Amino acid sequence: MVSDITTQERRELPVTRAERTREGRTYVPNCDIIERESELVILADLPGVRAEDVDVNFERGMLTIQGRVDRSRESGRTFMHQEYGVGDFYRTFEIGEGIESSKIEAELKDGVLTLHLPKSEAIRPRKIAVRTR
Amino acid sequence: MNIIPWLSKREDRLGTASPENAVARFRNEMDHLFERFFTDPFGPPMDRGQSLFGPRVDLAESDNEITVKAELPGINPKDVDLRVEGNVLMIRGEKKQEKEEQRRNYHYVERQYGSFQRSIPLPTGVDPDKVEAAYKDGVLTVTMAKRPDAKARRITVKTA
Repeated sequence: MVSDITTQERRELPVTRAERTREGRTYVPNCDIIERESELVILADLPGVRAEDVDVNFERGMLTIQGRVDRSRESGRTFMHQEYGVGDFYRTFEIGEGIESSKIEAELKDGVLTLHLPKSEAIRPRKIAVRTR
Repeated sequence: MNIIPWLSKREDRLGTASPENAVARFRNEMDHLFERFFTDPFGPPMDRGQSLFGPRVDLAESDNEITVKAELPGINPKDVDLRVEGNVLMIRGEKKQEKEEQRRNYHYVERQYGSFQRSIPLPTGVDPDKVEAAYKDGVLTVTMAKRPDAKARRITVKTA
């Protein structure tokens, strides 16, 4: 019973992979990727990130999610115990052919980023009507 | 296995359980609490079929307050049950999946769903009537006012 409770560790991005322009740590957000008939949906956990601090980029088949966390709010308090260091989020996905990049939509709600990546017409499954004569 | 994963990594601190060592004190309190909680057959029921996860928490102290922050992205604040019992803050709740999807449609499943629970021993007594909780951007912040008798006081040393 006791061992049923698990606290996931935050995965930190190795320094060599993240190009740092800001100090502090960078974490890999936990993601779910769901495939639906007409789209791919990516859900990313970005707790503590405001909508204006999220950057989503799609370039040459690479989808990049970046979230900045405001650290200034942490001042004036002494931490007794810290499990999640405050830090930015960064993750890249290689997206295969067949995504209509111009129609990618993103929304952020309660720390969860939802990305809708519509499949292009060419790869969508189509039902072909069979005609009878 | 250790009840509290963050403590297992700090094994070295266990040996230094001086009264001043807050971390060690937490650990003892936590262990006691969990022992009591899980051996009590009349305690709150838990659904064994579901996965239970513990959100990551931060605990900070200022002169007048204790603040606990828990990372809970994508929950409905109504599904959170918060309680202060003695020197322990209990966070419980359920994170529901927004939309039921077929398992085979998932390419990645890293985010956690289901019931969550965390008991956080507090370093000092708090006033149960002065507890405030706010949920913003996926982070739950619980602010608790310290009891007046728990605040730090300066003690004058008298000379004989």
